[in-house]
Amino acid sequence: MEEKIGVFICTGYGIGEAIDIEALSKVATEEYSVPYCRTVRSCEKSDLNIIVEDIEKEELSKVLIAGISPRRYEEDVFPGDVIVEKLGLREHVVWSQPPNEEDTQMLAEDYIRMYLTKLQKFEPPEPFQPEETLNKSILVVGGGVTGLTAALEAAKTGYDVRLIDKSEKLGGWLSKQYRSIPSKPPFRDLEDNGIDALIKEVDEHPLIKVYRSAAAARIEGAPGLFDVSLKSTKNGKTEGEPLDTFRVGSIIQATGWKPKEPRENLSYGKIPDVIRNIELEEMVKENGKIVRPSDGKEVKSIAFIQCGGSIDKKHHSYCSSICCLNALKQAMYLREQDDNAKAYIFYEFIRTPGFYEDFYRKAQEEPGIFFTKGEITGVKNENGGKLLVSALNTMPGDNIEVEVDLVVLAAGMIPNSADGEAIRALEDAKITAEKGETDVQRDAAKEKIAKLEEHEGTEILNLGYRQGPDLPTLEYGFPDSHFICFPYESRRTGIYPAGSVRQPMDSLSSKEDAAGAALKAIQCVEMTDRGEAVHPRAGDKSYPDFFMQRCTQCKRCTEECPFGVLNEDEKGTPLLSATRCRRCGVCMGACPERIVSFKDFSVNMIASMIKAVNVPDEFEEKPRILALLCENDAFPALDLAGQHGLQYSPFVRVIPVRCLGSVNSIWISEAISTGFDGIILIGCKYGDDYQCHFCKGSELAFARGDNIREKLEQMQMENQRVELHELQISDYERIPEIFNSFAEMIEEIGMNPFKGM
Amino acid sequence: MQDTVGEKTKESPEAPVVEEKEIAVRIEPDLEFIRALSMQGGDLFKKCMQCGTCSATCSLSPDSKPFPSKEMAWAAWGMKEKLLRDPDVWLCFHCNDCSTKCPRGARPGDVLSAVRQESVINHSFPRFLGRMVNKPQFIPLLLGIPVLLLGLALFLRDPIGEKLNLSNFTGDRIIFNYSNMFPHWLINGFFLIISMIALIAILIGIKRFWRELRAMSGSNGRAGPAKSLISSALVSLKNILIHKNFDKCTTVHSRYISHMFVFFGFMALSMVTLWVISSGFNPLIKTDFVYPFGFWSPWKVLANLGGLALLGGLALMIRDRFRDNEHTSTGSYFDWTLISTLLIVTITGFITEILHYVRLEPHRHLVYFAHLVFICALILYLPYSKFAHLVYRTVAMIYAEYSGRNVASLRSKEIQYSG
Repeated sequence: MEEKIGVFICTGYGIGEAIDIEALSKVATEEYSVPYCRTVRSCEKSDLNIIVEDIEKEELSKVLIAGISPRRYEEDVFPGDVIVEKLGLREHVVWSQPPNEEDTQMLAEDYIRMYLTKLQKFEPPEPFQPEETLNKSILVVGGGVTGLTAALEAAKTGYDVRLIDKSEKLGGWLSKQYRSIPSKPPFRDLEDNGIDALIKEVDEHPLIKVYRSAAAARIEGAPGLFDVSLKSTKNGKTEGEPLDTFRVGSIIQATGWKPKEPRENLSYGKIPDVIRNIELEEMVKENGKIVRPSDGKEVKSIAFIQCGGSIDKKHHSYCSSICCLNALKQAMYLREQDDNAKAYIFYEFIRTPGFYEDFYRKAQEEPGIFFTKGEITGVKNENGGKLLVSALNTMPGDNIEVEVDLVVLAAGMIPNSADGEAIRALEDAKITAEKGETDVQRDAAKEKIAKLEEHEGTEILNLGYRQGPDLPTLEYGFPDSHFICFPYESRRTGIYPAGSVRQPMDSLSSKEDAAGAALKAIQCVEMTDRGEAVHPRAGDKSYPDFFMQRCTQCKRCTEECPFGVLNEDEKGTPLLSATRCRRCGVCMGACPERIVSFKDFSVNMIASMIKAVNVPDEFEEKPRILALLCENDAFPALDLAGQHGLQYSPFVRVIPVRCLGSVNSIWISEAISTGFDGIILIGCKYGDDYQCHFCKGSELAFARGDNIREKLEQMQMENQRVELHELQISDYERIPEIFNSFAEMIEEIGMNPFKGM
Repeated sequence: MQDTVGEKTKESPEAPVVEEKEIAVRIEPDLEFIRALSMQGGDLFKKCMQCGTCSATCSLSPDSKPFPSKEMAWAAWGMKEKLLRDPDVWLCFHCNDCSTKCPRGARPGDVLSAVRQESVINHSFPRFLGRMVNKPQFIPLLLGIPVLLLGLALFLRDPIGEKLNLSNFTGDRIIFNYSNMFPHWLINGFFLIISMIALIAILIGIKRFWRELRAMSGSNGRAGPAKSLISSALVSLKNILIHKNFDKCTTVHSRYISHMFVFFGFMALSMVTLWVISSGFNPLIKTDFVYPFGFWSPWKVLANLGGLALLGGLALMIRDRFRDNEHTSTGSYFDWTLISTLLIVTITGFITEILHYVRLEPHRHLVYFAHLVFICALILYLPYSKFAHLVYRTVAMIYAEYSGRNVASLRSKEIQYSG
């Protein structure tokens, strides 16, 4: 279709009263020679239908609607082959600026120029279609309650599933439980753990193939194209016997958890009657009753020490979520065994996440179960074989001790994960330690090796990714994702952690998690098959295009991509696995040669938008500020600011970007040379509790921002001219302050000296 | 990262905090005590999570070591000794401000009430009687004893009367009176003996209680008394008379009125009784009364008003217990025995009086007998029933003044009210 642009200017919502619409139309028709330009009364459905009619009548291929913010349209009525760009005149101009002012008019006209330029540069994206057909089966790693449920849920939906578990028996921790905490109303009575029925169902399902005593020796490829080779294991360790190779579309990692080593000074391992809750559970499952390991006598009293088995944040700093429930359950075992038995539960916080409050209440009703906060100061052997537990700051007293037969320590939950990035860093350090050029380099590498040694041989997935063989992890070893907003997501597209490897949880939540992850895995294979991106740009058909002739093998893109999309060949040339890509554009922001672009988002496009702005000369005293806003949080916040009628400087020109990480530094220099007096970049919060939709994008942008500011200094310019801010969507009321104080600062330091050159 | 964590934990057990604290107290929860408390309507205390809302909301609790939150923890842990020697248990007037505010529904007010019952039973002498009085299955036996005693008194009336030459009549213009059956010497003598028995029992109880209070203040290392014993007693009595603490109840303020009625009604009746009994040797009266009093005799009027106050107060108390279970307590067996005994005493008293005026024979004697049986029970079981609160609470209030427990109590509450 031949390119024909149409512009529709909406005059409703007060836009017509606040802006000179005729002048605005002239920008389109005269400056940009747009063949078709008209006004509409609103952006409601009836008027949108008029636009659709005009599109057909005039055979328009690209359309700009200058009206309400793109987020505020109620329906999408436009034909799929027409490119429609929406400019929020209402939110970003009329509601945030005084009406009928010269500056307001200039702002509106500039936006028309910028968006028309964008439209001109916009090419319709073509979905990525590899030569091979994409595989739609799912690999589940781990055969505990989460893995089993995930496999079953996916298979029930009609997908082929392969389930691997490193041990001979499926069932994981749940199969070791004597009884389970209640899973149904009224949530008061203990239940059978139900794992045998689940295993049977999985074994018998025709779409599920189970590999026992197996582990992933290597997983190469990308979503839709994962090539898995299995090795056999013995006693949970990889033996090295190749088992099978096959291809899958996506992967669910349900590798569960392992217990943390107990705190040293609580005599675990020294006194036989100090045990962990997992050992008590096994004991009851075997013997049907609780006895003292030292002399086999029936236990009359137990002290449960919760919160990582230590109540010491220095030892275990997060809640493992199930230990309280286990302690309640095991205290009930004891009370069932002996009506005069006493169970003391010491905790920092007692927590029963989920539906278990009534289970807690039931335990409270037992006269022989005693609860208290406290700090455990020691466990001692007393004469007569009893144990003495002493505690400070408890509910019944500041300094107490109780005499018990058995001490049970809660086992803190540690995710059964591997830190892929650390493993890769260890590998790199080993190479440097051997082949490093200077002594300093080699010593630094050795130090690094010592620090990372614990990661040696911890691989689980053995991914063939340049950035490491496993999922990148967060502080405590949980796979990196936003565990509240985007559960199951990881930083490896198509690989979804579920269950207690993702976050400490009980079996009921694990089942729910498994179902969620199964849906994500299915979504991934289906969308990948259509050539679309998955979360968070779900449905995006664009993908990055590398102009390889100009690549200098600097490896910035391969190192900085948050999702490990790019592998390298021996020379360091990036190898694109397009189905791994989330389309954030971080590679585009990283590339110093600017060889990365998307059809609908490119360095050239944004640079042209910047250059499209009419910059008044320095004597007019009208500075121009470029604001690059992350479209996930900051740009919607700008909508909200307008919606709340917050007024801000008319000198700011806003361009939304996919992620602040996609900002290429050329745009900054482009803006300076165009005559902009300052640049603001607003992205999401970064750091340990980041809110970046692409995990690392915002952090990278802030790191690059420091480089840019250094560069400005080298150019003899004030480095304040570039400012970076973190903003979450609820912080919209900060926007006027950010813009206005920046504008004031620009006025103070004066205009861009390069203006007009 | 994990290495540094390991190092820190190694140091923590040697932290100096451990040495600074007192020697550890060995705790052995008393399961029987927990079960006993649960039986008596305090079965919700194990729900307590020690948030302290109860103590904060209580308008009677002092600023330092406030109740009832600490008592809730002690109850949940079955710490019988600590609770029984705790004067704070008796400073609670069961307003249930705390019970209505408790976020867990643990009803601290009812728990303290149950603890008070245990306190009465455990301090009582002999203790087995304390247990019996609070068990419904012993009602026949408990009522049988006064019946037997009064029967015995009737049986011995004539022999003793003849031997000591005591006349049945006090006045001669009487045609129709109760002294035919119970001559005044017999009534006075009988109830004097009964009261002495009860007095001895309750004195032993107080002695036990006071000793424990003193022992606890000693172990807490408190400084000497804040006030003299006499002035503490005077302040406490004044507070009791004006119902100062009841007045602070916000949840059910009608309790202030009802207890006031019952209290002063009972006082009026007791005063008339003591006045009349002591008339022979009381230097303030020094008259021989003529019995029975005329209806408009000031004594009779006072007694009738007292009876009416008692009746009205009791009716109000009963209404409160049924009206709103959310805010008030429905009462335990402990609580209901006292209310019903008082009610029966009052009603039988009035019926006796009415039957006297309508001259209905022999019903009036039967009712009169029943009246005396319940009065006897009231006095005899005072040390073991809720009635003992009038002694233990008074002692605890005096002790609180004496030990300075109440000093800061009012300041913070004024803030609460003004807020």
